Amino acid sequence: MSNEKEREKFQQAKAAWEKMREKYVAKLKPQKNLSGIPIKTVYTAEDIAHLDLDTMPGVYPFTRGLYADGYALTPWMQQMVFGYGTCEETRKKMETLVAQGMEGYFGNKVFNVVYDIPTMYGIDADHPEAEGNVGQCGVHLCTSEDYDELIRGWELETTNFSLITGENCLPGLAHIVAAAERRGKTPDSLRGNSMNWYPRIAVQDIPSWEPKQGYALMTDLIKYCTKNIPPWNTTNIFMYGISEAGATPVQELAYGLSWGKSVIDAGKAAGLNPDSFVGRLGFQIGIQMNFFEEIAKLRAHRKMWAKITKDAGCTRPQCMHARVHIHTSGNVLVAQQPLNNTARITMQIMAAVLGGVQSIHSCSYDETIGIPTEVSHRTALRSQQIMMWESGFRQVADPLAGSYYVEWLTNEMEQEAWKLFNELEDHGGYMKGLEGGWIKSRIDASAYATKRSIKSGELPVVGVNKYVTDEKEQHQPFRVDYEIERKAIERLRAFKKKRNQQEVDKALSNMKNACMDLRDGKGELMPALIEAARKGATNGEMMVPMREAFGWVVTE
Amino acid sequence: MSNGKIRVLLAKKKIDVHGRGTKLLARELRDAGLEVIYYRYGTPEEIANVALQEGVNVVGVSIMTSGHLKVAEKLIPALKKNQMTDVLVIMGGVIPEVDFEPLKKMGVHEVFLPGLPGEQVAEYIKSHVGKVSLK
Repeated sequence: MSNEKEREKFQQAKAAWEKMREKYVAKLKPQKNLSGIPIKTVYTAEDIAHLDLDTMPGVYPFTRGLYADGYALTPWMQQMVFGYGTCEETRKKMETLVAQGMEGYFGNKVFNVVYDIPTMYGIDADHPEAEGNVGQCGVHLCTSEDYDELIRGWELETTNFSLITGENCLPGLAHIVAAAERRGKTPDSLRGNSMNWYPRIAVQDIPSWEPKQGYALMTDLIKYCTKNIPPWNTTNIFMYGISEAGATPVQELAYGLSWGKSVIDAGKAAGLNPDSFVGRLGFQIGIQMNFFEEIAKLRAHRKMWAKITKDAGCTRPQCMHARVHIHTSGNVLVAQQPLNNTARITMQIMAAVLGGVQSIHSCSYDETIGIPTEVSHRTALRSQQIMMWESGFRQVADPLAGSYYVEWLTNEMEQEAWKLFNELEDHGGYMKGLEGGWIKSRIDASAYATKRSIKSGELPVVGVNKYVTDEKEQHQPFRVDYEIERKAIERLRAFKKKRNQQEVDKALSNMKNACMDLRDGKGELMPALIEAARKGATNGEMMVPMREAFGWVVTE
Repeated sequence: MSNGKIRVLLAKKKIDVHGRGTKLLARELRDAGLEVIYYRYGTPEEIANVALQEGVNVVGVSIMTSGHLKVAEKLIPALKKNQMTDVLVIMGGVIPEVDFEPLKKMGVHEVFLPGLPGEQVAEYIKSHVGKVSLK
């Protein structure tokens, strides 16, 4: 409000507005967003008068986006999660997705491949505990032949392989490096992403490494890539996992950024210069159901990460970029009348795009029922593509900037998140919060509070506590033939017969020594893993000495 | 039902991910006055053995990443083998409704959709426990 006259005009309007509402204003119910921040019904210039909004997209602190012209040069990457069966079935799906137009920056190919649970846990198809799970919720990849098949024919320098591994993250990278070598390529030809998300153990109740060792393994991968595959994205800061476990959007911001800081700290403690590796860390963030809260969260996130990285000693702008892949929330989708989920997913994609993210996976409407069908998966991809080409959303960078509400809320989310972030830092930081269950207890409490408010009706969910019907759903989910398990075991057995067992044993024995050394704070593990992959050690075989050396525990 | 409380074993299949649903249910069943033994991950045989050791009245298995039919196929015989023929068996999670009937044919007494208020599960348990048979 630049001058006295304008200010007076506004005050007159405000007085008229107050008059309009005086009869009912006392009856209005107080509102809050999912993070518990009180929300007014109207925002004005007065709400943002104290904020410094003089910035531009592409300029520090990047609140308005990482790139100067938003999506004008290239749209976001469409990175649909996929993968099932053996590499054979997954190859077919890759080809289908390419034919459906799924692509990354400047038309490059992107494959966001999810492994099945046995591979993530580090057991091969023939392990008794793998029974019933092989190829079911992801692809089973355990031999070097599987990885050869995965990358066959794709141009490595322009294809992004994002490997959604679990604890087999380092063996997974070793295998794809060895597969690239067999094609006559050096490791630095590879493009893609390791998850390297050990810290997710703070919220996921699954067996994994002991915390100190988990961080040592994470850092080992970062060190290897920084030296040998500089373009590889080493680490996925899995805020989505925090969110799906029950965190509010503000908790997701605070604990996610604290996780990110813990990775930077670990890298620096291992002797790395922040400018050499921080630019290859990336985020995976969830989108829940309060539209503007999610947009504000994404804007605040960029600003906060820029400050954290700068404070950590980064000087290159790329190292201050919070590069974000969105996974729309699966937890908010419901099993009742599953087609209704398309409305939820559409809204979530809109929030991601208006929030200015780099990459999106959109859930399929039937994920609450089972593995997505071809139609539901395609519809999720097409929803992104409709947004990309028909909506006009990407014509203007950060189109909600300047909105009284969005700017106020962006600042509010940031300030609330800093409070929780600083509280955790004062407690000793993310790793400490992981070890002692500090983070988990807070997020579990939020999950419980959410469930209570759904039960009471305070948080309306269509089909669950509103417009409830008792119709039965006849939806047939995608079925993965259990025959695939037999096929995977046969492939594995045939593979093992072909390899030189002596060489495998020797490589595994060297790998075991490297594991023990790393456990004791010495040496590097990745080279020994790559050598084992070259000689034909399977994913499950590599994980045995790793479990021995680094512990295998469920944190409480 | 020593101390009068219904004892419920809550488990997930041996290798699975995302524990939010099971943990919430454990808490909600406790709120409803049931005693919950939270076992997390187990093979059907392990689940049946813990059920026997703990002398539970109810076995609940949560599934996130498919395999419910395989689990039921082994769990029911394993419970019978342990002479637990009067235990109430329920399942829940990401399970398609079209599979509810096949699961019931195998002996599972009830299957629940994800995200329901835990009270619904507690009410079902209270009105059915001790009145069923796996024979």
